[in-house]
Amino acid sequence: MDFLFTEEQTMLRDSVARYLDKTYDFDARQALLRSEAPYSKAAWSQFAELGVLALPFPEDVGGLGGSVTDLVPVAEVFGAHLTVEPWAFALTLAGGALTAAGNHAAARKHLADLVSGTRIGAFAYDEHRGIAAPAQIAMTATPSGDGFVLNGEKRLVFGAAEAGFMVVAARAAGQAGDAQGLVLLLVDPRAAGITMTPFRTQDGRSAAHVRFDKVGVAGADVLAKDAHDLIAKLISDAILVLAAEAVGAMTALLRITGAYATTRKQFGVAIGTFQTVAHRLADMKIAHAKAYASLMYSTALAEAGRLTARDVSVLKAQVGKMGRSIAEAAVQTHGGVGMTDELSVGHYLKRVLAFEAMFGAPDYHFRKIGSSAA
Amino acid sequence: MNIEFGPELESFRQEVAAFLDTAPTPAIREAGRKTTSVFAPFEQAIAWQKILNAKGWAAPAWPKEYGGTGWSVEQRYIFAEECRRRQLPPLLPNCLQMVGPMLIDLGTEEQKRKHLPLILSGDVYWTQGYSEPNAGSDLASLQCAAVSDGDDYIINGSKIWTTLAHHSNRMFMLVRTDKTGKKQEGITFLLLERTDYPGMDIRPIIGLDGFPEQCEVFFDNVRVPKSGRVGAENDGWSVAKHLLKHERGGSAASPALLHNIARIRDAAKTTLSPFGGALADDPVFQRDLGELEADILSYRHFEQLAISGHPMVRDAAYPSMNKTMNSELSQRVSIMMTRVSGVETVPLQLEALTVGSNVAPLGTDFDLIAMPYYLNTRATSIYAGTNEVQRDLIARTVLAANR
Repeated sequence: MDFLFTEEQTMLRDSVARYLDKTYDFDARQALLRSEAPYSKAAWSQFAELGVLALPFPEDVGGLGGSVTDLVPVAEVFGAHLTVEPWAFALTLAGGALTAAGNHAAARKHLADLVSGTRIGAFAYDEHRGIAAPAQIAMTATPSGDGFVLNGEKRLVFGAAEAGFMVVAARAAGQAGDAQGLVLLLVDPRAAGITMTPFRTQDGRSAAHVRFDKVGVAGADVLAKDAHDLIAKLISDAILVLAAEAVGAMTALLRITGAYATTRKQFGVAIGTFQTVAHRLADMKIAHAKAYASLMYSTALAEAGRLTARDVSVLKAQVGKMGRSIAEAAVQTHGGVGMTDELSVGHYLKRVLAFEAMFGAPDYHFRKIGSSAA
Repeated sequence: MNIEFGPELESFRQEVAAFLDTAPTPAIREAGRKTTSVFAPFEQAIAWQKILNAKGWAAPAWPKEYGGTGWSVEQRYIFAEECRRRQLPPLLPNCLQMVGPMLIDLGTEEQKRKHLPLILSGDVYWTQGYSEPNAGSDLASLQCAAVSDGDDYIINGSKIWTTLAHHSNRMFMLVRTDKTGKKQEGITFLLLERTDYPGMDIRPIIGLDGFPEQCEVFFDNVRVPKSGRVGAENDGWSVAKHLLKHERGGSAASPALLHNIARIRDAAKTTLSPFGGALADDPVFQRDLGELEADILSYRHFEQLAISGHPMVRDAAYPSMNKTMNSELSQRVSIMMTRVSGVETVPLQLEALTVGSNVAPLGTDFDLIAMPYYLNTRATSIYAGTNEVQRDLIARTVLAANR
């Protein structure tokens, strides 16, 4: 057994880290958030240049033939820098859906564009108050000829307003709760009948709620039918990569908070000398160790093709819970200054809370684990 | 990343399983079911150790030349898992996991030759003489004194929390040999080859669970030979710190925790929820059990990284993090057990808990042990350095990273 990254994985991680250290420090990120830009186009081209966008895709569309687990080490670095580009969603969800469509003409074309960095893809999945599992998808795709007509609303679609293509998960038959009857459809974000409400997320990303009013989808744009297991697999991939981002953020929080407790003085001494503060730091480190270990173990399981839904629930719930506890402890340790927009700690808090809320909050996953034996 | 166990490990698991299914006696199995502590019932734990030793499996983690198995870390983990799955009593840790490995690392050739075979065979049992009434978490302030007298030391003072001293025929202890310098610098590590030296008095202490697991030991001019010293005079603190690493880290504790989760899940199927139906189907119970199990699984992942030799084990905080996680998860498991047993935890059942007793439990075996296990497990965050001390040590590494 080993839980270490390969030399190639480490090299790519290091080159991404060097690039972000140079161009994407906290001040640069603050400037980006104050601008009108949804994300940094320059950074996106550089991600393409570095090969990040090509990593998990097949070689015949320009990819590097790697897997989602190859994204884990770079995701940790992205998380530490709190990047706002929608790379994780575009690659694991939208890109993953296109890859799974195999020899599908339109999918091939979009995938090549995604890999080269010329356009991004969005994945329309979530609905009212969040969807913890694909079977709960309710938005309808009414069969029409060899295609479908979409009606309803998808929420929290990352990168939707900037996307060149959108993959929509919808229900062609049955009702919310049924695993059967789900489809994945390729949709032009500018198609007639689509209305977007774009917004910035609490953690600085660009997303939109997307309304579909009689949006026709041709048979040639159907990516998958009986898509439940495929969607579950895509969500599982996204959770792994987003968890790696969150753990990267948690690593940064532990380091930043340790440094602050060492230098910040009150009552004439460094606050880290107070046992209450010191023990909070110890709890942060313990929480980090658990989240990190579950991330590494899950990555190894995924690489071996043995990551089960139960394993994903453990990862999602634990990283969500530990992320919240570490980030809240970081804000508390920083005191008043931790409450300001000027300091990174609050931004990390918002990033890990967004992760916690997506794809089923910890309570959902805990109950899933508790109601089924391993 | 590589998580594959491989077919040879599967056949190893079958070999272990075949032995564990047949070798333990009924009394040993009963002791396993009635274990409510890190320390299994003494007599049966020793009996089980002798059976394992005859097979060559008493000390899987020891180097092969001293009687270890030569198993890989993965094999050791599988062995621990299969033992817990069958609810067999854990072997007593003081000898096999503490004084034995310490002697292998730091003992003289003569000490190794003399003590290691007897430790393996279960013919001797060592109690740990560290804590004193005024030296608990602040262990280095210990006062029990040893004065040099020719080839002997004369010991005066007392030790407390000497686990199972009333069953032990050996003791390893820390004594003060110099009161002048820094408190850590005047401590010496001694091996006592008897616990019935003239002037030595062992008094059991009844614990919260009603059983005498701990003892107090008094020394009144007790003469012991200097040949039992490990390391140099006044250098016992470094020996003790070395031994502590074995006490706090490097274990395979998650299999026992996960086994208890399985027992809780089973017990909940036949427990009524106050809202009707089975407790196992109660959404709040499911959520809380899942939260605990998920946390244990993260600890299991942490353990797996550790046994794979991941660089994190070289972090100075690793033993303290391991001890803190393991002890606090054990406590949460014990709380969950009492939650399932509910009012069935109230009757005091000391006789039914005794191995070989003809008094039947008033409820299920699960109900029998839930409260004693809970009570005994309060100790896990106190012994081997309180969790407050562990958190001090962990925090030091967070702060030191920035100095």
